[in-house]
Amino acid sequence: MEVNIDKQYPVAAGLDCAWQVLSDVTALATCMPGAQITEQVDATHYKGSVKVKVGPAVAAFAGDIELLAIDPATRTLTLLGKGADKSGSSASMRLEASLVAAEDGSSTLVGKAAVIINGKFAQFGGRMMASVSDVILAQFAVTFSQKAQALQEAADAERVAAATATATATAAEGSTASAAASTPASTPSPAKPAAAISAPKELNALALVWMMLRNFLAGLFGRKA
Amino acid sequence: MNAPLNEREKALMGMGESRLRKEDARFIQGKGNYVDDIKLPGMLHMDIVRASVAHARIKRINKEAALKIPGVIAVLTAEDLKPLKLHWMPTLAGDVQAVLADEKVHFQMQEVAVVIAEDRYAAADGVEAVEVEYEELVAVVDPFEALKPDAPVLREDLLGKTEGAHGKRYHPNHIFTWDAGDKEATDAAFASAPVTVTQDMFYPRVHPCPLETCGAVASFDPVRGELTTWLTSQAPHVVRTVVSMLSGIPESKVRIISPDIGGGFGNKVPIYPGYVCAIVASIVLGRPVKWVEDRIENLSSTGFARDYHMTGELAATADGKILALRTNVIADHGAFDACADPSKFPAGMFHICTGSYDIKAAYCKVDGVYTNKAPGGVAYRCSFRVTEAVYLVERMIDVLAQKLNIDKAVIRSRNFIQEEQFPYRSATGFDYDSGNYQPALDKALAAVDYAGLRAEQAAKRADPDCPTLMGIGLVTFTEVVGAGPSKICDILGVGMFDSCEIRVHPTGSAIARMGTISQGQGHQTTYAQIIATELGLSSELIQVEEGDTHTAPYGLGTYGSRSTPVAGAAIAMAARKIHAKAKKIAAHLLEVSEADLEWEIDRFKLRGNDDKFKTMKDIAWAAYNQPPPGLEPGLEAVHYYDPPNFTFPFGAYVCVVDIDKGTGETKIRRFYALDDCGTRINPMIIEGQIHGGLTEGFAVAMGQLLSFDKQGNIQGNSLMDYFLPTAVETPHWETDFTVTPSPHHPLGAKGVAESPHVASIPTFSNAMVDAFAHLGVTHFDMPYSAFRVWKQLKASGIAH
Repeated sequence: MEVNIDKQYPVAAGLDCAWQVLSDVTALATCMPGAQITEQVDATHYKGSVKVKVGPAVAAFAGDIELLAIDPATRTLTLLGKGADKSGSSASMRLEASLVAAEDGSSTLVGKAAVIINGKFAQFGGRMMASVSDVILAQFAVTFSQKAQALQEAADAERVAAATATATATAAEGSTASAAASTPASTPSPAKPAAAISAPKELNALALVWMMLRNFLAGLFGRKA
Repeated sequence: MNAPLNEREKALMGMGESRLRKEDARFIQGKGNYVDDIKLPGMLHMDIVRASVAHARIKRINKEAALKIPGVIAVLTAEDLKPLKLHWMPTLAGDVQAVLADEKVHFQMQEVAVVIAEDRYAAADGVEAVEVEYEELVAVVDPFEALKPDAPVLREDLLGKTEGAHGKRYHPNHIFTWDAGDKEATDAAFASAPVTVTQDMFYPRVHPCPLETCGAVASFDPVRGELTTWLTSQAPHVVRTVVSMLSGIPESKVRIISPDIGGGFGNKVPIYPGYVCAIVASIVLGRPVKWVEDRIENLSSTGFARDYHMTGELAATADGKILALRTNVIADHGAFDACADPSKFPAGMFHICTGSYDIKAAYCKVDGVYTNKAPGGVAYRCSFRVTEAVYLVERMIDVLAQKLNIDKAVIRSRNFIQEEQFPYRSATGFDYDSGNYQPALDKALAAVDYAGLRAEQAAKRADPDCPTLMGIGLVTFTEVVGAGPSKICDILGVGMFDSCEIRVHPTGSAIARMGTISQGQGHQTTYAQIIATELGLSSELIQVEEGDTHTAPYGLGTYGSRSTPVAGAAIAMAARKIHAKAKKIAAHLLEVSEADLEWEIDRFKLRGNDDKFKTMKDIAWAAYNQPPPGLEPGLEAVHYYDPPNFTFPFGAYVCVVDIDKGTGETKIRRFYALDDCGTRINPMIIEGQIHGGLTEGFAVAMGQLLSFDKQGNIQGNSLMDYFLPTAVETPHWETDFTVTPSPHHPLGAKGVAESPHVASIPTFSNAMVDAFAHLGVTHFDMPYSAFRVWKQLKASGIAH
């Protein structure tokens, strides 16, 4: 069965930092719940694995990822993932992810993916596939945003340090400039503390069901409103 | 003093009595004996590794991990079966089918390997551990796509074969073209007809879904060289012949036993790879092997039904007299042609599609096509594609009625074959035995107050605030059952006769053995009633045995409503042989000539003398202990009955539906079914059969569907998705009957189990479409789930 995904997620970081995460396939993979890059074959080929539960079907996909295009100018990444699991499911995904700037200096992750699923997943999971991928992608986006934000804060910290340095040097001429400099326009607001960035483990079925239920109810009330 | 005649007759509990089912005592106490109840010492368990994709090459199969699992004894693949030449097997339709996928997978859930283990759990773990690497190929799930010039070749094993079992193949994915009727005459009639209508309709792929899934327990005795197999089969004798031919074991050393069967509905006619693998495993390992599939395997891989893409055409006069019928069908047979039809009829009895109507010219053409779906095309509670045929003609006559704005009852009356026309030769070559259609329709219309219903419908259509759409469905069907005359009907060359052996014991009880096998039809009850009436012995004293090929005479089994028309006739003929011998014995005992004797319920008596008689009980004793000089002792007979013709049950059905304009929820307000199955042997069992058939018809029309996505993944192959109605969803059934005996059947009986399934489905469709008729809708496809009906409501601008 085919699932086509076209989604946008806010990233609490500027374009450059977000791009650092997006363009690093290994880092990118760890944003995916239960996913990891196990081996880099060459510049554009990787081996990876991902564990997912859909309804009664559990799958540990092992597969290949091919980097089709990576374009810093448009901040666009295109990759092709193919994988199969021993218990009789296989999947392929063509993903095109790009970053666009948001007004407040943060950025937006735009993801377009065509996923084809065969085997047990497609047989039993079909009905749930769309909502499951929503939940998985939402988690992916959160982690992605956290990673980017961490980079952003690191970058900002440096800039602040640099700014204060110049400020002290020209202290006599007053500290207005440094005040201005110490709040770079690019700082995403409101800046959240990016304390614990832990790549989520394999998506656990209970949590998944809970999130789907919550989304479902939200949808209900959304309709009423 | 003699008991009054009516008491003596009642005491027999013979034909016409609503005798309680003898089977039920054990079934309702859980004392039935099904294949899965068979447990043998040292018995191993088999489970099947199935394809995860619909179309692929098998790159490699790794058994290592599976063989390491404690309890796993063997893993068999096509490679292991090759030396035995059992990796492919013949199908009933003249094609071949992979027993285990041979280098290529043709449909999802196809058998790829089997794991044999000490217990069921180890077998299941083994299946999980077998690693199969696939090179995926483009799957073809749409038969129209399959016939395109550039379509992938699905059956590479048939490459270059332009001749199939049923003639020319014009495309690598084409199986056969089969036609019936007079094309020229039909085309001419259409060319000159004042009115013509045409309608495309899809009869979706469904599954009989018997409660008991398929399975086998194979037990090969290496010392005696004998193979005994308990098997869920509707045709155990045919299985024995095929197993003997495949294995080389003499038929005398192959014993097939169909024990209690939990429903068949055509699903248990084919021979499945699982059976073959269990048998091979038992022969190879020298131990009994049990295989019982689960529900998902049953729905995904065993015999489906229908999947006919039909185009119907009618040519008629302006006042609705049908001049000609033409139909073209693309039949999706799946990956292997494993239909269970009489060998000469690749589209079964589809050419019954002129139905109850006197149509002078008709032509039907069916093209069978390969796709990446499970093989099958079984007769789901019907007689070989009769369901599709009746659906086509009963839908088409409604389409014509709407075009001409003629009432749907009137147009049927206008086209009926008249009583005096029987026996009637149809345009496609059937010889209808008997029928009387108008009285059946009149009785049905009166029973439901048809005029009143139409008035109510008109009022509701006129009222914009009415929350529902009301639909009235009519069907006046004719079925063809009781396959069949062996001059035209055979399966793999075996004529479709059936048989009965009756042995009357000295004390006046009897045992009858049959070539058929009950799957819930109540043979043990009804067969005994036939013998009771024929021989004057109480049915309570008559044992009926079926399904053991070591004891029962050869027969073609139970499907296509053939048990009563064929085996029922064999019973009567065997009983009459005994009756004739009994008369000789009675004459000897009474010291009179046979000519002076007359038969009276349970005895031969001296004509006109109630006190000089011998009951069948007396005669049975004498048959063994004081036979007339020159007459061999004993009182038994065997008869193999080769029917001279099919039988043609008919009936008139009415359905009233109310459809919620907002949600598409459909309420079956009323369903009336009148069946004429000729002579009625047990009215209670007929009632039960009709309830069952109507319920399965309701299931197909309102919810059952085996659907596939573009990649050939089967969608909804569990009872979570596949609709199996229970008492909760099932509407109330009103049943009725007329009696028009078959002139060529010894008892006048025609068979009934399938009529209610065959005929109720178009009745539901006709009702659903009728609800939309005033909006110009001439057809929309089953199943009528709320969502699909709602989409039609939207399309017709009713729901928003």
